[in-house]
Order: sequence, then structure tokens, then C-alpha cells
Amino acid sequence: MAFLRTLNSEARWGLGLLALILFLGIIVPLLSPYGSVDFIATPLSPPSLAHPFGTDQLGRDVFTRTFEATRLDILLALAGVSAPLLVGTLLGGLFGTTRASVLSTLWMMLIDAINAFPFIVLVIAIVAAVGTGVQGLLIALAATNWARYAKIARARALTLREADFIHAAYILGYSPVRVLIRHVLPNVYSETLAYGLSDFVLVIITIAGMSFLGVGVHPPAPEWGAMMADGRLFLRGQPWLTVFPGLILSLTAIGVALLAQGVMSVVRGEE
Amino acid sequence: MTTGTMPEARTGAPGGLRSALLRLVSNRAMRSLARAMAVGIGVMVVSFFLVRIIPGDPVQILLGDLATPELIAHYREMLGLNGTMLQQFATYVGRLLRGDLGTSVITGQRVSSVVARTMPISVWLIGVTIVMALVLALPLGVVAALYRRTRFGQLFRIVTSVLLATPVFFSGLLLLLFFAIRLGWAPVAGYTSRFPANLKYLWLPALTMCCVQVPILARVLQSSIADTMEQEFVETAVVRGLSWPVFTWRYLLRPSLAPTISLLGYVIGQLLGATVMVEIVFNIPGLGTALIVEGVLQRDYTLVQSIVLIFGLIVVGVSYVADTVSAWLDPRTRTQ
Repeated sequence: MAFLRTLNSEARWGLGLLALILFLGIIVPLLSPYGSVDFIATPLSPPSLAHPFGTDQLGRDVFTRTFEATRLDILLALAGVSAPLLVGTLLGGLFGTTRASVLSTLWMMLIDAINAFPFIVLVIAIVAAVGTGVQGLLIALAATNWARYAKIARARALTLREADFIHAAYILGYSPVRVLIRHVLPNVYSETLAYGLSDFVLVIITIAGMSFLGVGVHPPAPEWGAMMADGRLFLRGQPWLTVFPGLILSLTAIGVALLAQGVMSVVRGEE
Repeated sequence: MTTGTMPEARTGAPGGLRSALLRLVSNRAMRSLARAMAVGIGVMVVSFFLVRIIPGDPVQILLGDLATPELIAHYREMLGLNGTMLQQFATYVGRLLRGDLGTSVITGQRVSSVVARTMPISVWLIGVTIVMALVLALPLGVVAALYRRTRFGQLFRIVTSVLLATPVFFSGLLLLLFFAIRLGWAPVAGYTSRFPANLKYLWLPALTMCCVQVPILARVLQSSIADTMEQEFVETAVVRGLSWPVFTWRYLLRPSLAPTISLLGYVIGQLLGATVMVEIVFNIPGLGTALIVEGVLQRDYTLVQSIVLIFGLIVVGVSYVADTVSAWLDPRTRTQ
């Protein structure tokens, strides 16, 4: 609660929005009388009391499917952020602390090269190579996104290297491994974690975008981007198929973005 | 010279190899060129490995039951999979330096002809977007900086965060629904390559990309103008009672442009990523559509590899130019 009070009003709005979507994402699939992949009504019927978001071309309830998708999208995005966060920070911290310069220069070249590509383009290319679907998507996200965290972590570790408490740890005779794990990495993680929250926005948009392009999560599974790709063919006559999943996706992303901005300004000690 | 590099070597910020290189190229321009080339080589390495991370044998995947020893050998040659890894990389770079992007393994077309057909369309789209984004972002950034402590500043912050978090394919579909389908102000899909007529097809996709680009540019501009406003020369200008346009351009905008321009590499990366989505949404036959429809969905590995490489090299090239231009614009960054 004390943490809540330190957040600005925008961040509190973001948190509220996110809590609402998560709540609906849990409660709607539980209480809905319809299954997410069942044929339950006339295909393409407009929003009504029984079906607040209408039904799709296969007569499935869009409301149930949209909120069922919350779980898959958020879990995928969490996995897509946390694996690169852990690996990238560890590698970046290591390259920032190590004195093996040839090795770390070569690694920096690789990191800069990966970061040079437009994020989604490299993800698309890796998915094209390793295969579409949830597994390919997660591999592609992990293989590209770690480099961003490594870059941030290395920059932070380089400034830490000159800090008094790190010098003190060395003078006390601690081994470099212990200094890295106990003293450098905790400080580096606080920085990359704050970035991870805003990265979540990029990752969840990328996941939905990949499915929208038809190279991410495969259709019958309810997923926002895949639902939008399906609905796109009916944009002229039945816009609800596209608009509602897109709206919930955007609101989720906006909620996290507002929260991330608030947390960033708390971390930086502004206002 | 030696005195200049000594402290650096002792603190060890750039390691041994790097500081040796630094001593060699003390010139800032040379240094940023060397850096861009190093990243360029890295980009080639990454795209080289794209075909090699395919689980299993890509030739088997492509040919399936059709595989005969001759066909397998032919396809291995086309994908550049003969010899040791180092030989393969040498062949790859050698081909690229001769401007040979390879041959499509699916259609047998030269990849360069696919690029020549689709790239001008994407360049047009990006060009129109940049013009539109600058026209919208410049005044917005100035106004947001001047009024940042008011209601308008707060509104600006919220609206930009909302726009930045909205997926470009969703805002594209909404704009398509509203302007093309409901109002009929733009064609729903398609493209023509003739000049004035193509703007009719491009303005809506460009507006879609502006939904992300304008907030980025306007925010950077806002914060860099806000920094400029703290400077004493701005106070002096206010005291001198200069006219509004002279004051805004010479004292606010010009010193604040360098950070915006040095961001151009990042912006181009964002734009290239967004073009892929936007071209698919608006059915524009550009490089992004070629990447997805002809490349990924057809498992055309060489096409995907080459288009991704082009995207990476464009970002590296533009970042280099942006660095150079912003150094030239703002002499303060040159002496660093």
C-alpha cells in the first residue's frame, strides 16, 4: 500500500486498468456459459446482451474468446520478458565486470548487431527458421531480446566497477565470482527490471503482431492477434471481430505502459 | 596523445583491444565509421546464421520426398551450405560484396529483382511518413515544451503514452475502418507506382505509422527544448525581446534538433519494423509484404535472409549518417 501511494496518478490508472483486465481474464472464462472454441450461436451476429462482443465467423462467442486470450497473451509475454531479462542481465553484468577485453569486444559486436535489426523483423526471421507456433515464438523472442538487456546491464556494470563498495569488496579479498553475484548483479537487476516493465509492452505487442501476421500462435487457440487476423476479412461488415480483441490488447499494453512510466519516475526519484 | 589515452587505459573502460583501436583512430569521424563497419559485419554474421539455425537439414525440409542427390547438391549450393563454416561465411560475404543477394529457393528468381520491385514502395511509404511525422511533431514538441507545466503538458504525456502502447496493426485497422470504409476518403487496399496517384494510397498507412512516430519525436523534442530553455542564451534572447519566429527557430529549435537527429537511426529501425505490419494491413506490395507473404509463409529462406539483412544494414547506415550529421549540427558533441 505504501508503494501505491508513491506512484503518480497515471501509474495508478495503469495499475487499475491492468487489474480490471486480469480480473476479467480470470472470471469471464470461468463464468461464461460458452466454451472458447464451441459453436454456440448464428455466425457473425452483432453484439447483443447474450454476446456482448458478438460472434465470429464460426459462431463462437467473441467476448469469451477475448478474455480467454488474456491468460495466453500475458503468460507468453511474461515468458518472453523474463527469460531474456535473466540471461541478458547475467551476460551483460559479466561483460561489464570481466577484464577479458577481446572476448567482451566480440560479444559487444554481436549485441550491437542484434540490436541494430528492427526487433519484429528479426523475430519474424528467426520464427521463419525455427518454425511458427508458441515454441518458435518464445525461442525467437529469447534469442533477440536478451541483447537489449545485456546492453543495459553492461553499461550499468561498467559504472558500478568504479563504485567504492565494489572496490571495498575486492579489497576485502572476495573472489570476483562472489563480487559479481552478491554485489554487482543485484544492482544491475534493479535497472534491467525497471526496463523489463516497459519492455513488456513491446513484447506483448510483438506476440500479438506475430499471430496477426499468421506466424505466431496458431488459430483455434484464442489469441488477440490471431483473432484480429481472422476478423480482418470481415472488417467492412462485422468490425466487432477485430475491434474488441484489439481494444483489450491495446488497453493491456496501455495499462502496463502507464505503470512502467510511473515506476520509472519513482526509481529515478522524480516528483 | 599518450596523455589523453592514459587515464582511459588505467580505468579500463574500453578494454585492451578497443583502446589499441582507439589510439589508432583518434579521429571521431574515423571512429564512428569503424564502429558502423564493425556493427555492419555483425549484422552480416547474424543474417548468415539465420539459415543455419534451422533445426534439421533445410534442404531436406524444402525438397521433402523430391530429394535426389543432384537436387540436394544444387540446393546446398544455392543456400551456400557447402564447405566449412568459415568458408561458407567467406562465400556469403564475397557474394554480398559483389551485390549478389542470392537466388530464391522457391521461385528461382534473383532475390535482387524481388528487392528492386518492392523496395521503392517501402521507401515511398517511409518517406511520406517521415515528412508527415515532422510536420506534426515539430509544432507539437515546441508547444508541449512551452506549456509542459500546464494541463496541456499532462494531456500530452498521457496521449503520447497511450499512442505509443497501441499496436500499429490495431491503429491501422481502426483508421482503415474509419477513413477508408466509413468515410471513403482513401482506397481500402492496393497501390499504384505513379507519383502523384500513389499518395492517395500512402497517406493512410503513413498516418498509421505516425501514431507511433509522432509521439516519439515530439517527446524527444519536448525534453530537449526543455533542456535548452534552461540555458542562459535563451534568457538573454527573451530579455532582448526578439520576435517570436526568430526566437523559436534560432534559440529554441536549432540547438534542440541534434538529439532528435541522432535518434534517426532508432526511428528508422522503428519505421522499418512498423512498415511490415502496416504493409500487411493495407495490402501494399512493399518489402515487408514480400518478407511475410513470399518469404516466411513460403519458407523461402534466402529471401527472408536477404530482406532481413537489408533492414539491418539500412539501420546501421542511417545511424552512422545521423551521428555524423548531428555532430556537424551541434559542435558541442564533437569534442567529446
